[in-house]
Amino acid sequence: MIATIKNLLAYRELILVLAWKNIAVRYKQAYMGLAWAVLKPLTLMLIFTLVKTFVGIESGDIPYPLLVFAALMPWIFFQESASEGVNSVVAHTALIKKIYFPREIFPLVAMTTKLLELAIGFFILSLLMVYYGYMPTATVIWVPLIILYTMLVSLCISLFGSAVNVYFRDMGQALPVVLSLFMYASPVIYPLALVKEKLLIQQVAGDWSNTLYTLYTLNPLAGIIDAFQGALFRNESPDPTTLLPGMILVLVILPFSYLYFKRAEAYFADVI
Amino acid sequence: MAVIEVKNLTKEYQLGALTTIKDSVKNLLKRILGKPIEERKRFKALDNISFNIEKGEVVGLIGTNGAGKSTLLKHLAHITTPTSGEVIVNGTVAPLIEVGAGFVPDLTGRENIYLNGTIMGLNRKQIDEKIDEIIEFAELEEFIDTPVKRYSSGMAVRLGFSVATSIDADILIVDEVLAVGDLAFQRKCFERMESLIKHQNKTVLLVSHNIRQVERLCSRAILLDHGKVLSDSTPIDVTELFYKRSNEMIQQRQKKVTQKNLAIKGSGEMELLDITILNHEGEPTDKINCNTPLTIRVQFELKEDFDKPELVIGTHRTDFVYLSSSSTALIEDRPSFKAGIHMVDYCLEHYPLIPGVYCVRVAFFDNNGRQVFHGETLKTFTLVGDRKRAGMRTLELPTKWYIEGNTYQV
Repeated sequence: MIATIKNLLAYRELILVLAWKNIAVRYKQAYMGLAWAVLKPLTLMLIFTLVKTFVGIESGDIPYPLLVFAALMPWIFFQESASEGVNSVVAHTALIKKIYFPREIFPLVAMTTKLLELAIGFFILSLLMVYYGYMPTATVIWVPLIILYTMLVSLCISLFGSAVNVYFRDMGQALPVVLSLFMYASPVIYPLALVKEKLLIQQVAGDWSNTLYTLYTLNPLAGIIDAFQGALFRNESPDPTTLLPGMILVLVILPFSYLYFKRAEAYFADVI
Repeated sequence: MAVIEVKNLTKEYQLGALTTIKDSVKNLLKRILGKPIEERKRFKALDNISFNIEKGEVVGLIGTNGAGKSTLLKHLAHITTPTSGEVIVNGTVAPLIEVGAGFVPDLTGRENIYLNGTIMGLNRKQIDEKIDEIIEFAELEEFIDTPVKRYSSGMAVRLGFSVATSIDADILIVDEVLAVGDLAFQRKCFERMESLIKHQNKTVLLVSHNIRQVERLCSRAILLDHGKVLSDSTPIDVTELFYKRSNEMIQQRQKKVTQKNLAIKGSGEMELLDITILNHEGEPTDKINCNTPLTIRVQFELKEDFDKPELVIGTHRTDFVYLSSSSTALIEDRPSFKAGIHMVDYCLEHYPLIPGVYCVRVAFFDNNGRQVFHGETLKTFTLVGDRKRAGMRTLELPTKWYIEGNTYQV
């Protein structure tokens, strides 16, 4: 474990340079440049706000656009680093056949690239917060930790997925679709408080309500998005009961995912 | 201590189409149920290879296409994993990756140098130190801040070579990258490779189809064939064996070709009947000694009369370098040919070339210069010599040495 991290530190320069390459290639010939990186969360925010006006989602005191944007930031970061991570190994076929370095660098590079786009998202978020008159409180120090945890979650998927994708390209096609459906199972459009209210207090599913709620929080993104919003707007530290089921799941899956990747890695050059 | 140790290395690949998910699931089910699964045919790219390479050795790997050279290099560079056996490499390995393999077309030349350099394991500071030299060597000072996609192919290749050869590692792996750019640049590349190899005392593995390069640069050569080490010795011995084998192959292939008359172009007014090689005693043969007279006898049939046509008979190497040739147009009062069967002899006093396989070509033109018949590699013959050592030359000329009053004839 420690050896793995040490090894990766030795390759940090390569990871940064490859991430810089991804960014440079994507935005180089675009007049608007990096502005495109925030187009997706901004449009989704506007669409959801519009939908809310005639569907009616109970969202509490926090202005809905702010709440949705803060939910979209970790969500899009997770979704894109996972789906680009899954395709990252296959996308570098030429390098894999010619030169050796630890192959997990490719999913990591995909994630690092998305980290930069996330940073631009934070810039937009701060503008929104100023506009709505929200000042960050001391709980904002939780934000980096929440992001770090989100990175681990996306690695669970991208390590295993990118290795499978070398053998079966179906993975790279299917995963983005599955993930975009998965958004509705995460508290992006609606706040987690609404789910809590319906299941834990109103017990709408009868005897099954508490079990359903635990199942819902098995999705690590449920805890992440709620903790992210809480730390930014509600002056709350992350709530362990919401985070725990997802965390256990991640701790079980991540080592398996990494080991599978390392076992498959030896044959990448032959199969790809 | 050996820098590279290869022990009983075997690599198998599966032949046939990729497995689909359906097949994988089927096989998994069969395995669970304990039924036999369909094994796909396997192909041994490397078959139980063992050798050691010591520090400072420059080893040439030669062999025909598919002999396993690149597969072997991939194992040394840690890109792929052996099916069985072991590869131990003590030291850092720098593959001179296929020129330009890591280039991103949208980035400028300078950006690509940083990208490629980092991929090959240099850090930023090292690249900063080397970048001027890299640009200068590639002769791209003017274009270095232009995206690589706007480069001519020659420019991109030059940049690739220049970056690739600036890396620092204990073991260099070179796979067919020497011949890049125009002639002047090729010369430069060759000198750079030579200085890398000879003056920096690095261990080098060189894969090349240019056998002369291997003879010149390497201290040892390994000949691979169908995944096995056929010969591992001095470059001269190994390349000699390689030439012998590839000539045999060409001869075999040539037999098939003449049966189908693929190499012949003609208007149909002339038909080639037979070509025979005669030795100095006038006997038909396929083997000629380079110091004895050589006669090429050509028999052909003409469908109509030709007034003072031109008949050309010549010889060439298997790689189509023309060696000798003569034409009846050189004869002052050149003969005419009537319709019917003719037999012509083309005689050479001797054929002073190194042992090997050589080919015959025949051409026939009418007196207006219209081509009636032309064919190459119509017949091959093997030249044998008396001297033991071949290589490092093309002509086999008798030589006299005068050394300190003594005369030697070789």
